[in-house]
Amino acid sequence: MSLTAEQKLMLFRNLARAMTLDKLMMRIIRAGRMVGFYHEGGIALAPGVAAGSFLRQDDIMWPHYRAHGLGHMLSKGIDVKYYIAEHMGRETGCCKGRSSYHMSFPDHHIFGFSGNIGANFPMSVGYGFAAKYKKQGQVVMNCSGDGSYGEGRCHEAMLMSANWQLPVIFWCEANGMAQHSNVKDLFPGPNISSLAAGFGIPSKIVDGQDLFACAEAALQAIDHVRQGDGPIFIECKTYRVQEHSVGGVNFEGPTQRDPKLMAEWRDSRDPLKLATVRLLKEKILKQKDIDRIISDAEKEADDMEAFCEASPKALPSVEELQLAVYAV
Amino acid sequence: MSNEREITLCEAIREAYVEEMRRDERIFMLGISIQAGTFPHTKNLTDEFGVGRILDTPLAETGIVGCAMGAAQEGLRPILDFMYAGFSYFAASELFLQAGQYHFLHGSQHPLPMVMVGTCGVGRRVGNEHATLPYGATMHHPGIKTCMPSTPYDAKGLMKAAIRDDNPVFYLWHTNLMMTKGMVPSEDYIVPLGLADVKRSGSDITVLTSGQLVHSVLKVAEKLKDEISVEVLDARSFEPFDLETLLKSIEKTTRLVIVDEDFERAGFAAEVSAQVMEHGYDLLDAPVKRVCHPNFAVPGGYIDVYTMPTQDRIEAAIRDTCR
Repeated sequence: MSLTAEQKLMLFRNLARAMTLDKLMMRIIRAGRMVGFYHEGGIALAPGVAAGSFLRQDDIMWPHYRAHGLGHMLSKGIDVKYYIAEHMGRETGCCKGRSSYHMSFPDHHIFGFSGNIGANFPMSVGYGFAAKYKKQGQVVMNCSGDGSYGEGRCHEAMLMSANWQLPVIFWCEANGMAQHSNVKDLFPGPNISSLAAGFGIPSKIVDGQDLFACAEAALQAIDHVRQGDGPIFIECKTYRVQEHSVGGVNFEGPTQRDPKLMAEWRDSRDPLKLATVRLLKEKILKQKDIDRIISDAEKEADDMEAFCEASPKALPSVEELQLAVYAV
Repeated sequence: MSNEREITLCEAIREAYVEEMRRDERIFMLGISIQAGTFPHTKNLTDEFGVGRILDTPLAETGIVGCAMGAAQEGLRPILDFMYAGFSYFAASELFLQAGQYHFLHGSQHPLPMVMVGTCGVGRRVGNEHATLPYGATMHHPGIKTCMPSTPYDAKGLMKAAIRDDNPVFYLWHTNLMMTKGMVPSEDYIVPLGLADVKRSGSDITVLTSGQLVHSVLKVAEKLKDEISVEVLDARSFEPFDLETLLKSIEKTTRLVIVDEDFERAGFAAEVSAQVMEHGYDLLDAPVKRVCHPNFAVPGGYIDVYTMPTQDRIEAAIRDTCR
């Protein structure tokens, strides 16, 4: 499946926006203006952009938390300024400032998040079951990292999705790290996607730094599940070049990860740089178009920051919150 | 005039399922061996609704609860059956941190209508996992409504209310009441969640209880009728809890015993006792007394019938409080 020039341009633009917003989030948290925590995306954002860029509005998505899913969501067509406002505890936050870091865009079929990693798996079974039950051709883009596959929930979800042949994409953004442990110390094999075979789920491994390879895999996966062929597993091999959570250590087990290696990866495996080279070589874009895309993304980030800053802090009364527990 | 028939508690639950599923195609059921009808409340449901709407799942409680949540967010109205309510503890994260809190945390913008069903209760000599009554835990965590009927009438009405509610509801039914018979109207009705019921009117003391123990307390009340007039209040819902009806009853009787099959420590009885202290202290002429399961595992063997709140212990507590 080859991508059109238009699709490549759209993907490039989305990745540029995602990586620019990742930098904005880093500025905000370092300035002490974020209320919760942040998990920097760095050079790991191509898979999420690919996962989001070809979905319909009514397709269900659970974003991966790396860069807090900003790339996934903006690629799906969501105005993420309300999500950034949530990180700043504002009234305009997508969860009304109650969550610190959860997304909620029910109109776009992104219903929320959980700090308990692996919560995505059983819920994606439910999304997939509903999609199949309603017969409107929806698919589920169930994104998470390789660390989350330690949860028993992932096995239950693969089992149930395979058994019921649900339209669920197990989209694994495998950066080789689970918090402060190297995944190779936690799993017996080299590839997380090998788990899929036990459930009869087809799988594919793709270079997570290659935006266009990720996008082709996403298109194939979406086609596969949308036409009713059951779940599919895509493993995008990517890198984590920084600590798990901003301000934490960057260790694997007892050992600090080599800062030189991190810097080398950051420089040589940046998916936006790699995509830029491709687009210039294929003459899809000129350097001045690329500069324009980057400056537009920076302008968008500045505007979003200004919007959030202008929003009042969410400080609802206890009485108001008490009335918000149940749907009425 | 209401067209009433005598049916069992499980038949009453099944009637609620059938009537609601006929009414609303978004409702489906999933659970562990529900097609076979492990208990009679799901028996032969596939005859009418098929295996695409009555789903047997793997033994995967976290999977099932998460699946119900996801399906509910995507517009369906799942009923999930744990078989035994104690099995739900496998899904503690889904149950306690997510199902009940998702709506609130995500800005109260999207409903989460799901019914979780499980049987529970002491007295069948099957030990802790099969007997555990989880309402103390569910009511502790915000956002999960929890109820348990004592009669077929309440069983059907509460189930209909649970299914029509836009929030997660944990519907418990007591294993010992499975074949308990009672009159149930043919017409559509609900028993609202959060409404207690006076099962016997009295003037000397209020005994608040639920489930199987409603029947034990009614027997004690009958035995004591010439000495002490006992008002028997069936909580029916633990969350939301009908404090208003309880306070109204205490206003009349001035005394309260809480008979609860769950562990004594940090349970429903402790919570209600604290609420009465805060909101009804002036109404009381005696301290509130609890009769609960002791703070050790529900035993198997021949033991559980005397560690649970027995009629003797209930009677002693009533006499003690009315001294």
